[in-house]
Amino acid sequence: MSLGSHWRRSAASAVFLLAVPAALQAADPPKILRVTFQAAETGFDPVRVSDYYSGQIIEAIFDPLLTYDYLARPAKLVANAAESLPEISSDGRSYVFRIRKGVYFADDPAFKGRKRELTALDYAYSFKRFYDPRHRSPYAFLFTGKIVGLDELAEQAKASGSFDYDAPVAGLQTPDRHTLVIRLKQPDPNFSHVLAYPLSGAVAREAIEAYGDESPSHPVGSGPFLLKRYTRSSKIVLAANPGYRGKLWDFVPGDDPRQREIASQMQGKRLPRLDGVEVSIMEETQSRWLAFQRGETDIEYQLWDVAPTFMTDDGKLRPEFVRRGIQLDRTIDPEITYLYFNMQERIGEAPNPVGGFGKERIALRRAIAMSYKVEDQIRIIRKGQAVRAEYPVPPGVAGHDPGYRSLIPYDPRAANELLEKFGYRKGADGYRRQPDGAPLVIRNASTPTERDRQFDELLKRSLDSIGVRLEIQKERFPELLKLEKQCRHMTRMAAWIADYPDGDNFMQLLYGPNVNESNNACYRSKEFDRRYEKSRRLADGPERDRLYHEMTRLMEVDTVWLLLDSRIRNALQQPHVVGFTKHPVLHTEWLYLDLAPRSGD
Amino acid sequence: MLGYVVRRLWQFVPTLLGVVLLVFFLFNFVGGDPAYLLAGKISNPAQIENIRRQLGVDQPYAIQLWIFVKQIASGDFGASWSTNERVSEIFATRLGPSLTVLVPLLAIGTLLAMAAAMLVAYLRGSLTDRAIMVGCTVAQSISILVYILVFQYVLAYQLGWFPVQGWGITFAENLLRYSVLAIIVGVAVSLAPDIRLYRSFFLDEINQDYVRTARAKGLSERRVLWVHVLRNAAIPIVTNILLQLPGLLAGAFLIERFFGIPGIGREVILAVERSDFPVIKAVTVYVAVATMIVNLAADLLYKAIDPRVQLK
Repeated sequence: MSLGSHWRRSAASAVFLLAVPAALQAADPPKILRVTFQAAETGFDPVRVSDYYSGQIIEAIFDPLLTYDYLARPAKLVANAAESLPEISSDGRSYVFRIRKGVYFADDPAFKGRKRELTALDYAYSFKRFYDPRHRSPYAFLFTGKIVGLDELAEQAKASGSFDYDAPVAGLQTPDRHTLVIRLKQPDPNFSHVLAYPLSGAVAREAIEAYGDESPSHPVGSGPFLLKRYTRSSKIVLAANPGYRGKLWDFVPGDDPRQREIASQMQGKRLPRLDGVEVSIMEETQSRWLAFQRGETDIEYQLWDVAPTFMTDDGKLRPEFVRRGIQLDRTIDPEITYLYFNMQERIGEAPNPVGGFGKERIALRRAIAMSYKVEDQIRIIRKGQAVRAEYPVPPGVAGHDPGYRSLIPYDPRAANELLEKFGYRKGADGYRRQPDGAPLVIRNASTPTERDRQFDELLKRSLDSIGVRLEIQKERFPELLKLEKQCRHMTRMAAWIADYPDGDNFMQLLYGPNVNESNNACYRSKEFDRRYEKSRRLADGPERDRLYHEMTRLMEVDTVWLLLDSRIRNALQQPHVVGFTKHPVLHTEWLYLDLAPRSGD
Repeated sequence: MLGYVVRRLWQFVPTLLGVVLLVFFLFNFVGGDPAYLLAGKISNPAQIENIRRQLGVDQPYAIQLWIFVKQIASGDFGASWSTNERVSEIFATRLGPSLTVLVPLLAIGTLLAMAAAMLVAYLRGSLTDRAIMVGCTVAQSISILVYILVFQYVLAYQLGWFPVQGWGITFAENLLRYSVLAIIVGVAVSLAPDIRLYRSFFLDEINQDYVRTARAKGLSERRVLWVHVLRNAAIPIVTNILLQLPGLLAGAFLIERFFGIPGIGREVILAVERSDFPVIKAVTVYVAVATMIVNLAADLLYKAIDPRVQLK
């Protein structure tokens, strides 16, 4: 470009700027937060989805009765659409909620031009939908078997083919427009958590009926955002809901300096601060990483594979990123990963070499568990971005015991001795046989993905070190689910992330009656079940902690699981993102964030 | 001619039946039970049965197959099992983005490959020919993934010429801003095999008697190449492009995933990951039908371009 043309362009710009009214120049650009999902959403009807990503959008659009304090750790329930936490009867079976007055659904053609207030009836209707067999809700388990009268209504619906939403339900009463009374079949200290789950938000019956089968792409809620533009599997654009009742950022920080900094920046601000959120679906890590570095996205936390690129070994941001003002937030996910054994004596007609409670079977499971070096998994596969899990309840979840130490050490030498002692002798091929001389082959079920191949290799190396032959049973994910629900697998590595921040969500994975539902190890122990049933009636506290401790010891003595790790979530943020700290339970933090002007704005 | 077309159309029926049987049995015996995926984290056998009943996968295979045939006849494959979106809507909304990338990609790639192929065919045996052929062999041996990773890193991230990924609202924005890098990658990937293939087509023609005759008549080398050779070599080239089209539509999933293009290829992968049989069925049938139609069109085109061709 010549000097002359440069001068002319500058002069033209100056004239333009002078001509623009001062008010317009001062107008702030809209605050649009740009984030990514690493997998496509499936839709935004609370009863029809099960994936985490759809749940994030649902959380932004719908209003549950309760939610969580943004800063309190461990997570603490607070009122949301309800005026306060529920009044719970002394027997723990009855919950009374007072719904806030003057809360409205976002304007929608389904309301035919009228303002539509959120009422107790909307929650009653929304909860009933989870029982409607037509919706085949993946999260029906949150409600099934809990509210008086609703299971019976669901059975009638199965018989008649349609769910009667107008039928009176003893466990779901609305004495007035703003009071909701829920009666449970039995006390459930975790029921409040269910009502804070994003999928428990209220939908409007008119909107659901107006959109019918299209309801997953026409979400109408009363939450802080509304769906502005939607290109399936590609882009989801949310706008701040102009009719949102608003909230004040009013949280008490803990001792964490980061929390104090956030509180000093955000305290007293009216929420939401953002004008919108733009979500791009980016399945590939490279795309997400480059887009973040180019400033095309504002927050990125799905970067496990490239973590060493931006982090030092001790979990700090590399200096070049610090210089650019990039911020890093690290939290341990409320999850566990674990290797588990099918505890049934037989798989179909064939004997299961790892199943049962005989001493030699326990010895085999124990030896396998002792041969697996979890530290290698964290170093090689997780690239250092995980912590060893020692307790079935992960950090950040009520019931976690940070002092608990596993009974099962990494000790391949002792594992070999154990196998020798119980008659698992090596054959000419170097692999051990069962005590009765039959061949011993452990079959681990996994999916044909690159990540599972890494786990397979680590497990193979471990079992080779104790002379146990391993076969990998490759199955597509749906088939794998079927195998484990039907107790037809032998071993598998799996992960469980908290649906609600309470240890019960993890301990139920080992409860006998949950075989074929969530107890995929097919573990049936009277001792464990007795303690679990007792623990289920207790709130978080020393008595329940003691039971959890005993249950964990029982699980380890029987060696049902080998606990592996909990992943660390590294959230990178651009310098202009204000107020971000990853909440252990909430799916998103969008409501509590602000954006400072970007350089160049 | 009409008799030939009718005969060929009749042949579609057994071919399509073969495709239907193949996809049906693959899905039912290899694909996995979708009910377990749709049931969510915690489910009981009754819920699984309810889902299977709603999806119709609890029906005898003969009935499921008959429903599949009726869907093909009516062109209505129902709704996606995972998102509830109508399959017809999926195709209607994903076809545009796929074509926005594929049409320019094919046009530019073909023109460049033809020009380069004609040059190396003309210079056959020269250093230029050998160098380009070696280059093509090397380029062809590199995975498409490497092209994507390198081009995205260098052109989008380091040089900042293009957005790393994304998709906008208007056609112009998508074509001129978001598709360009994907088109460049697609062209780069297709160039090497196309040059090699087209070179062989040109060489076949350059050695024909009519070319020697044209030269003997004193026609300029430019006219010989651009008019006589090109016209005859264009027949297999056009056939090749037409045959590639249906497969390309569903097969461009890597480019679509990396560059965030909401096209058909990406949808196919999602459907496979989710065991979404209605979408898988529709894609398979559409690609099969498109391939058969394109085959027929290519044969008719042969006849139109070269009257010596006999259609039997």
